[in-house]
Amino acid sequence: MMQAYLENKNEGRNIGLLVTLLMFGFTLIGALVALMVLLWWMPLGEYENILLDDFNAYEVIVIIAGVIYAVCCARTTFGLLRREQSSLRWSQWMFFIALIIGGAILLSVIIPVGLKFALLLGQNIDLRTQITEEVGGLVPTVLSIGEGLISISVLVLVLIALLALFVFIIPPLESLRRMEGIRLIVAPPRRLIQAILLVFALGIICVLIAGIYAVPLHLDKTKIRIAEDHRILAGLIFFLPAFFGYRQVRQMREESDELRRAVALTPGKFIRAELAKSPSAGAIIGFIAIFMTFTMATDLFLEPSSIASYLSNVATKGVIAIGVTYLMISGEFDLSVGSVLGVAALSFMLFMTEGAPVLGVLDPIPAALLAIFVAMVLGAVNGVLLITTRIPSFIVTLGTLLAYRAITLVAIAGGRILRYRDYHAEFPVFVISNIVFVALAVIGLALVAFTAYRVLPVLLQGAGRAWSIRRENGDFGTSGAIIRFAVFLVILLILLAIVLWLVAVFGYHIGGELVEVGYFDLFNGRVSYIGSEGDFFHLEIPRDANVRLAILWWFIFVAIFHIILTSTSFGNSIFAAGGNEGAARAQGVNVDRVKVQNFVIVAGLTGIAAIYETARNPGVDPLKGQGWELEVIAMTVIGGALLTGGYGSVVGSLLGALIFGMLQTGLVLVGIESRLFSGTVGVIIIAAVVLNTFVRGAQRN
Amino acid sequence: MEYKQKNPDALVDMIDIHKYFGSVQVLRGIDFHVDRQEIVGLLGDNGAGKSTLIKVLTGFHTLTRGQIFFDGDGVDIASPHDARELGIETVHQDLALVPLMSIARNFWLGQEPTYKVGPFHFMDKKLMASESIHALADVGIHIRDPEETVGTMSGGERQSIAIGRAVYFGKKLLILDEPTSALSVGETQKVLDYTIAAKEKGMSVIFITHNIRHVYEVADRFTIIERGHKLGDFYKSEVTENEVADMIVTGQIPERLRLYEEVAVGD
Ligand SMILES: Nc1ncnc2c1ncn2[C@@H]1O[C@H](COP(=O)(O)OP(=O)(O)OP(=O)(O)O)[C@@H](O)[C@H]1O
Ligand SMILES: [Mg+2]
Repeated sequence: MMQAYLENKNEGRNIGLLVTLLMFGFTLIGALVALMVLLWWMPLGEYENILLDDFNAYEVIVIIAGVIYAVCCARTTFGLLRREQSSLRWSQWMFFIALIIGGAILLSVIIPVGLKFALLLGQNIDLRTQITEEVGGLVPTVLSIGEGLISISVLVLVLIALLALFVFIIPPLESLRRMEGIRLIVAPPRRLIQAILLVFALGIICVLIAGIYAVPLHLDKTKIRIAEDHRILAGLIFFLPAFFGYRQVRQMREESDELRRAVALTPGKFIRAELAKSPSAGAIIGFIAIFMTFTMATDLFLEPSSIASYLSNVATKGVIAIGVTYLMISGEFDLSVGSVLGVAALSFMLFMTEGAPVLGVLDPIPAALLAIFVAMVLGAVNGVLLITTRIPSFIVTLGTLLAYRAITLVAIAGGRILRYRDYHAEFPVFVISNIVFVALAVIGLALVAFTAYRVLPVLLQGAGRAWSIRRENGDFGTSGAIIRFAVFLVILLILLAIVLWLVAVFGYHIGGELVEVGYFDLFNGRVSYIGSEGDFFHLEIPRDANVRLAILWWFIFVAIFHIILTSTSFGNSIFAAGGNEGAARAQGVNVDRVKVQNFVIVAGLTGIAAIYETARNPGVDPLKGQGWELEVIAMTVIGGALLTGGYGSVVGSLLGALIFGMLQTGLVLVGIESRLFSGTVGVIIIAAVVLNTFVRGAQRN
Repeated sequence: MEYKQKNPDALVDMIDIHKYFGSVQVLRGIDFHVDRQEIVGLLGDNGAGKSTLIKVLTGFHTLTRGQIFFDGDGVDIASPHDARELGIETVHQDLALVPLMSIARNFWLGQEPTYKVGPFHFMDKKLMASESIHALADVGIHIRDPEETVGTMSGGERQSIAIGRAVYFGKKLLILDEPTSALSVGETQKVLDYTIAAKEKGMSVIFITHNIRHVYEVADRFTIIERGHKLGDFYKSEVTENEVADMIVTGQIPERLRLYEEVAVGD
């Protein structure tokens, strides 16, 4: 019927106009939301954090997103009025986005209430007695609690929303199975999924009901409840019309072959297909889910101090996880990283204080290089043991885990900590001209320019081709190339801005006095400001934000190792060695060498991590790094690497580490006891791997 | 021990090849040669040692005893890489492709084309994609997308890709170990056609199969091995299809052929 509408026929008019009207409604909503936030009619965030004369991160994001959304909706409305074919696809996306926003807002109520309930459970509170006390010994009913009426409305609305969500989830699962070009070996039985979802929904409802009962007992009654009630309404305003519109458009699309071809993939399918291409689909979904959960559960999560805290906490482990990912992709496993870290940290410390054999006392940089070399030798020992004995790497590195640990245990007498300070030396510093920094920033500029020079023309060409195809076919055709081009352009501009800013910061005092830099600060110092005070370009980092330089190094390593893995023949042979060792060997890949190299890489990165750790806290205890191996493997596995080899990504390990860090920080922020941390991580690991397998199952058989 | 080449003009001359896996003696003194521009059918029952023999030739296994001559020179093929350098391409029975990698990456595995940026070598992914499509199309395999992972493809498609790769890179010797086991009638015919085409281009081919009909159609000569020993070499003109089949099953040379065999052994 929509097709009829688009073809200017009479019978589809009502539906077509309804969809158009809905779209126009969303244009208004988008604009209104942006306007309300902009004019401080609708401050966002919890009460204590709202400053009337300032926008917080939420508000800025919402304003920008609202405006973009309104513009897109307006364009779509226009297209629908002009009866352009492509407007159908646009409306699908717009409704889809509205659905997600609505769902997110609803979740933002559901999650905190659920969490609060979980907290109450954690404190072993008998809900029943508390409620009874509150209402004076009467049998507790919803109405008997002060805000009962609100609770009932909340409950009913949430129930409706959940039902809608429920109806919405099933059809996409069904369509996933039918997706072209994709074969599922064992399609999950539909009944089972339905049953699981039902149980899940019932569970949420139970938690909600209980939470709504429990919350007023423990939390300030005036604040949060009202805000949540508003949110429920706002969520439903987004969710329900969008849900209706989305279904309507999808139905239209199903009805007409021509439209089905034109609107090749629905948003849901598109996203799923894109995810299936990535080894770290589970990590991406997990990252978004956990990030959103904590963002909604507590305002503090987006504070710079929290972001800095979770980045700093995992930067060192993240560096090791890169190497472990390499190794895991090549089909091997390293349990000894924790012990290698201990040895490397010890070596670094000793080389700077007691002195290295033959070479004597070393400056921090040679000492660091030598310590990394020591670590690499240990890695090489692992690798050579593996290929000469052909014992599984699990066993080999279990052995070296214990053996290498003996080195630190023997070297540092029982239970002591070897501290830099004990040698009564100042922390080492070096003096350097500003020009060096400027030069580095300029090199960065050149790199960005070079990347742009290489990649931009290609993308532009692709986008141009896609654009002309669109023109030729009326308004059909793909816009993937155009989007890619736009995204790359934006990223490039941001990078350019950062680099230019750095050039400005360091160039400001060019030729001025020399700068004193601590070696330890260079490795993993705390960054509290960039540029000197009073400069125009000066950036001060909030006092409570613990931003460490290792974060920067970590990201740089991720970029480098990602490129090596995906774009060099060495990377290719890593995948082949783990994917099918025999086939790789038969094609002339020297599998043994690749494996030894990977062991050396892991150990080298572990050595680097040891330097960071020692620079952050210049002391080494005999058990330094103990237990890290499992955490790092967990990060890698969450990141999508297959334990059996042949599959994985460095970016996945980054996400895995971030998930780890967010959990560590976030759980503390929402007030869940840190004792629950490992339990939560355990659940997350399994969930992430199941997700990875599920998405990948859609891709291969 | 010094070995002398027995067939001085041959492309490959393997002499007195022994291969033991620990106490398992898989090859016990096999002489095997391939002449230039010759298609040799290497035949034998399951477990006779055919795959092992070619894995020795391609450097996948190191030989326990014996000597290989290639192009007239004694060579020490220590790794599959060495074999590829000599111009030997192989489709292994059990070691064809890496399922989790894309077609293009599988195609170029071990010899990826690169371009240089400063001191760094990067894989030329674009060339890899376009060349693999073209090369496979040349041998009649049409793929949708070179980025598709091999694991999603059917067994026959995988086999075709492995064969296409060997045909594309092969320079002097093409070894096909059971190349047609998963192929349809049409695809099988294509493989037989490339085999002959490869010969016409000046290459030699070792063709291993259990389907006597296929190999009888294309091969010039048959080498039959029986539990690690060579039963004999037979030119196509000397034997019928049925006699070959009988020899494989019974492990006996028929009375009529003994004479040829002695002559062959004697020279
Ligand atoms: N790596 C190995 N270790 C021990 N024994 C092996 C090994 N590889 C092969 N063999 C043995 O060598 C014998 C010959 O194996 P091979 O694969 O060469 O047979 P084939 O002639 O190719 O058989 P088919 O026709 O079934 O492919 C078999 O008995 C097998 O068990
Ligand atoms: Mg075989």
